[in-house]
Amino acid sequence: MSAVSSWVSETLVRDATERRIFATLGLITVLLVVGVLTGVIGPRFLLFQIALVGMYALLSLGLNVQWGYAGLINFSVAAFWGIGAYCAALLTAPNSPLGLGLHPVFGFLAAIVVSAFIAVLIGIPTLRLREDYLAIASLGLAEVIRAIILNEDQWTAGSSGISGIPELLSWLPLTDAATTAAVVVFLIAVVYLFLRRVHRSPWGRVLRTIRSDEDLAKALGKNTYQFKMQAFVIGSVIMAIAGAFYAHLNLYIDPSDLVPLTTFYIWIAVILGGTGSNRGAVVGAAVVIAIREGTRFLNDIGFIQTLGVDLAPLRLLFVGGLIILIMRFRQDGLLPPKDELIWPAARDGSGAGGASASGAAPDGGTSSNGGDDR
Amino acid sequence: MNDDAYEGARLDKSDVVLKTTGLEKAFGGLVATDSVSIEVQRGTITGMIGPNGAGKSTLFNLISGFYENDAGHVTVNGEDVTDLEPHERARKGLVRTFQTPRRLEGMSVREAMLVGPGPQKGESIFSLFFSGSDVTEEERANIEQTRELLERFEIGHLIDQPSTDLSGGQMKLVELARAFTTNPDILLLDEPVAGVNPTLANDIKRFIRELNEEGQTFLIIEHDMPFIMDLADPIIVLDQGKVLMEGSPDEVRSDDRVIEAYLGGAGP
Ligand SMILES: Nc1ncnc2c1ncn2[C@@H]1O[C@H](COP(=O)(O)OP(=O)(O)OP(=O)(O)O)[C@@H](O)[C@H]1O
Ligand SMILES: [Mg+2]
Repeated sequence: MSAVSSWVSETLVRDATERRIFATLGLITVLLVVGVLTGVIGPRFLLFQIALVGMYALLSLGLNVQWGYAGLINFSVAAFWGIGAYCAALLTAPNSPLGLGLHPVFGFLAAIVVSAFIAVLIGIPTLRLREDYLAIASLGLAEVIRAIILNEDQWTAGSSGISGIPELLSWLPLTDAATTAAVVVFLIAVVYLFLRRVHRSPWGRVLRTIRSDEDLAKALGKNTYQFKMQAFVIGSVIMAIAGAFYAHLNLYIDPSDLVPLTTFYIWIAVILGGTGSNRGAVVGAAVVIAIREGTRFLNDIGFIQTLGVDLAPLRLLFVGGLIILIMRFRQDGLLPPKDELIWPAARDGSGAGGASASGAAPDGGTSSNGGDDR
Repeated sequence: MNDDAYEGARLDKSDVVLKTTGLEKAFGGLVATDSVSIEVQRGTITGMIGPNGAGKSTLFNLISGFYENDAGHVTVNGEDVTDLEPHERARKGLVRTFQTPRRLEGMSVREAMLVGPGPQKGESIFSLFFSGSDVTEEERANIEQTRELLERFEIGHLIDQPSTDLSGGQMKLVELARAFTTNPDILLLDEPVAGVNPTLANDIKRFIRELNEEGQTFLIIEHDMPFIMDLADPIIVLDQGKVLMEGSPDEVRSDDRVIEAYLGGAGP
């Protein structure tokens, strides 16, 4: 138990403000649970929201690798998400134009392979150039992917979309909503652990250097093109996995789901959460979705009805207002990155961290990097 | 100054680490580097001076591959590197620092230092998962080297500082230390003491000399005349993109053309 609490305090809670943020999140969780227990919130509704938040968290983790780690500007989050969703839908739905009805595993695998391939295709011409080229090319990609799906209807079913996508793990003794929520939690855990390992390492360090000063990284002999490509591909693959998951959550997909608004929300989530921080990406996604879904019900509140205004469409305004507030009071986002990017196992015994390393945790003491209260 | 005054550099050296032949670079109509051929002998501290805009930084950018040259060749340890990317040249042992200090946002001094050694095993994602203990071992050694080097440069106490909090002079020291961790055959320093207070500048001079005594070769651009005259031999003088002359500090100091170049640069 003490191991768990020390992990929580060292990994999740670094200072007073962070403690308040997590306390708030904890309180909201308790309220939700109470809401379910008292029957105010339907458990099915809540589990569906968890799955949705989880999917956005995956997308944010993906963008965080690209923008947060490496400084790559990708405006085609929705496109890679759509690639993943369509790979899953096309391969697994029996009534898709391909009509294969394969096991969902193949959908996920295809999502990974195809998104990686397309990321490499976009990366080859743009990543050698200045950063804005990727931004422009990715803007184009988002539209191209949508146009292809819309117009190549012999392959993609076009605007009529694909239905009959199978549910994941339907043999589990859980409700379908609980199963999808469990799956997304599992996916986030796997992605999170993967990213944690690769980020706090010489690899992550080179990316951080590139983000801050690419010429310096080159002058020190780093093949920055290769590093940027790796970050771009990893981020895109994570986005596609989120898309494949969505196909099995919603059981139906059509091209109108690939709206640029998704890309916008994910950027907001990453910046809000704290650019470069995995914890931040997850929390940022939760906050953005909470606002988006929460404002759906604004018009149902009696007081607002009496005002006679339609508030739900003003959602973006709320998101914008929130950003301004957070950037005003917490410039680097809710949970900005705190870790020194040093391989944790190499920290102990090497004297790194100086005197402040005395309380180092067995895994190398993430909380003990003396200089990290920046 | 007429063209005959440009004597060029000495090109008869033995054990040459870095050699350029006929390097050219023009920006639009402005010829910033005009047929520059120089040689840097192993084990020396070779200085490079010249008035503002003489083309010193441009030459560094050509040598290190950050600018593409219009003509000419760059050779490192006898190998032609003209077609190589900057990072490939760095791996061949040619490492440079920049005139304006590069601050690494969000990195501690320790982290900023650890980017230097390379290529590191832990820079491969595959190794991170499949040979974690090798990564650990190498990272430990690098952390230890960082600590020792910073202590040697008398800035060991800064190791935990955010690198954005350092003074300009401290940053120059960290950059020198970091460049050294790449284990280069030749270090190109662009104005290592510009804007650095005299005490720290003296420290930097001492450290450069120490590293040189251990065999490190340097090519150093510097405007601070007492500094470079005291430290470097030979000194190459650049003016208007061309090599004016090369010689010992005394020869350079007493050369009329050098004086004229500086006065001409300062005049109307
Ligand atoms: N990227 C560039 N584009 C256009 N002109 C340039 C560029 N880089 C340098 N120049 C020009 O080339 C000439 C040489 O500049 P350079 O920076 O090499 O001089 P320098 O000797 O390093 O001067 P300083 O002592 O002031 O650093 C200058 O006239 C400068 O304006
Ligand atoms: Mg210069």
